[in-house]
Amino acid sequence: MTLEQLMFYGLGAVGIGSGLLVVTRRNPVMSALSLVLNFFCLAGLYLTLNAQFIAVIQIIVYAGAIMVLFLFVIMLLNLRDERALSDRLSARKIIGAGLAFGLLLQVLYILMSAADGFPQKDEALAVSTGTVEVIGVQLFTTFLFPFEITSLLLTAAIVGAVLLAKKKLD
Amino acid sequence: MVESVLQNLTYFVPETALVVTFCAVLLADVIFKGRPRIPWTIGLLGLIVAGVTAFQQTGLNRPVFDLMIVVDPFAVFFKVIVAATAILIYLMSLWSDEVKASARRMGEYAALLVSATLGMFLMAGATNLLMIVLALELTGLSSYVLSGYTKEASDSSEASLKYILFGAVSTGIMLYGISLLYGLTGATDLIGIRLALEGQAMTHTPMLLISSIMILAGFGYKISAVPFHFWTPDVYEGAPITVTAFLSVASKAAGFALMIRFLVSTATPSLGVDVMAVVQTFEWPKLIAIMSVLTMTLGNIVAIWQNNLKRLLAYSSIAHAGTMLMAVTVFSQNGVAAVLIYFVVYLFMNLGAFYLVMLVAGATGSEDIDSYKGLGHRAPLVGVSLVIFLISLTGLPPTAGFIGKLYVFSALLDAQWIWLAIVGALNSVISLYYYVRVIRNMYLRDPDSAPAPVVLTGAQTVLLMVFLVPTLVLGVYFAPLVDWAHASVALFGIR
Repeated sequence: MTLEQLMFYGLGAVGIGSGLLVVTRRNPVMSALSLVLNFFCLAGLYLTLNAQFIAVIQIIVYAGAIMVLFLFVIMLLNLRDERALSDRLSARKIIGAGLAFGLLLQVLYILMSAADGFPQKDEALAVSTGTVEVIGVQLFTTFLFPFEITSLLLTAAIVGAVLLAKKKLD
Repeated sequence: MVESVLQNLTYFVPETALVVTFCAVLLADVIFKGRPRIPWTIGLLGLIVAGVTAFQQTGLNRPVFDLMIVVDPFAVFFKVIVAATAILIYLMSLWSDEVKASARRMGEYAALLVSATLGMFLMAGATNLLMIVLALELTGLSSYVLSGYTKEASDSSEASLKYILFGAVSTGIMLYGISLLYGLTGATDLIGIRLALEGQAMTHTPMLLISSIMILAGFGYKISAVPFHFWTPDVYEGAPITVTAFLSVASKAAGFALMIRFLVSTATPSLGVDVMAVVQTFEWPKLIAIMSVLTMTLGNIVAIWQNNLKRLLAYSSIAHAGTMLMAVTVFSQNGVAAVLIYFVVYLFMNLGAFYLVMLVAGATGSEDIDSYKGLGHRAPLVGVSLVIFLISLTGLPPTAGFIGKLYVFSALLDAQWIWLAIVGALNSVISLYYYVRVIRNMYLRDPDSAPAPVVLTGAQTVLLMVFLVPTLVLGVYFAPLVDWAHASVALFGIR
């Protein structure tokens, strides 16, 4: 077993384990922290595929920003009666399980339809597309226009957030 | 690189004007604190510049910024509609009590109207999935906040929250569909997707179907087609009436532009190209026909039970979206042109109706149909104008609404969609019932108590005429509009 395979199986096992913890823990803070661990494992898997940029973004954006926000909200809400909550929402649980099952079927379908051979990992191609430098160059040449529009989108979002969050002024 | 960006920018003048206006309004709002009129005026000027420069682009047809967006007659047509709506809404807001109640925030209101307009301009021209999503989000984010503008009123906050939640879910579904489509075709621009689909006909059909339906769901949400309409009545009722009017015309126009461009450029057989595998294996026209029937019927039937005129107009706008979807069903040049004609007509009659509801609500403090009792005798001009708008919304001659419906139905009959045309005609009859109920209240019922008078100022009357005159004139003299619409869709090269 090569080091790469070892990494894959190790990270995969921890990832699945922490994913299970997310849905089985009663304490929401524990669930959120398990999700952080899961994100780190995913980032590691991306690294083994030479996708440095996505790995870094995964950690900075998801594990960093979004999960901190999650934890913050969980602690602010002070969810004490989650036991009662979990008993009541059975219909939603079924829908959620159905959706998750649908996703599983979809992944299996893709795996089956590609059964005649997965494309081999192309080391050179992966290095030439996954690095921060390549993505940066793309972002400021081919995708310059969407990039600039994104900045406008964010400006509008900030104005909106301020407008909605501001206490009554007048 | 720099040269090409600068060269592309010359085809991007209307949007650039909106970007500059957006920033200028925000800055002016901070600099001239307490004088909201200044940022407001800057916003109005910017919108007018954008509208005029967009109109000057008529006849251009070229891709801009690496096929991210295009400037073509179809996009220009919708840009002009959106800009005209935005300017009229802007003027309407001058007399809106709801907007005035939060006068200190008028700068932000102006800025968000401008950014929503920018998003719709981009939607009209977007030819790349990336741009489609960005444009939809820019429009969406601005609209969410606008509908919660009078957040002191609880129904406005509720409207905003519902809009955000539904919007987030539909964007998520659409993005998922887009990611599948990208995975299947390896392209994000619509032409590339089409070429890829033609090349690998029939493979991955179930996946293609799922992704297309998910993307359609995103468009359906934007034009509030059944079954993606749930947010519409609550948002339209809770939002300030100017925002409701804006969403019901401009947002829908941009959504239709995007949907038509997406369907026509990826899945419609055009002259010289064989009918594509996707169209053969899955009957898009039938799916859209069913969607349009559901949308029309639900909109019209639920509208019958409404006692709040604003909510009634919300359901009626769902029904109108259904009527326009009927014309999309045909997938022909006549059909698409009919949508364009309908939109111009719909702009004037729908905005006019909302404008009068706003003025009456300002005078009497109520949007209930009961408060319209005897209005025709108290305020003859308002009464007669509202009758004209409602008759036009029904689609009866000699108003513009008749011309809109006429072209939709003739496109349907040309393409042998007889049953759909019959359902559409039956729906017009249903709509007559609830529109006439309002008219009956205005002329044949006496008010219970002494009502507040509705008096229009000179400027208000002028704006009313801006809505009223086209509604009447387009009913008899419509040839230029029809020519313009046909010229705008000719580039698609569909039969």
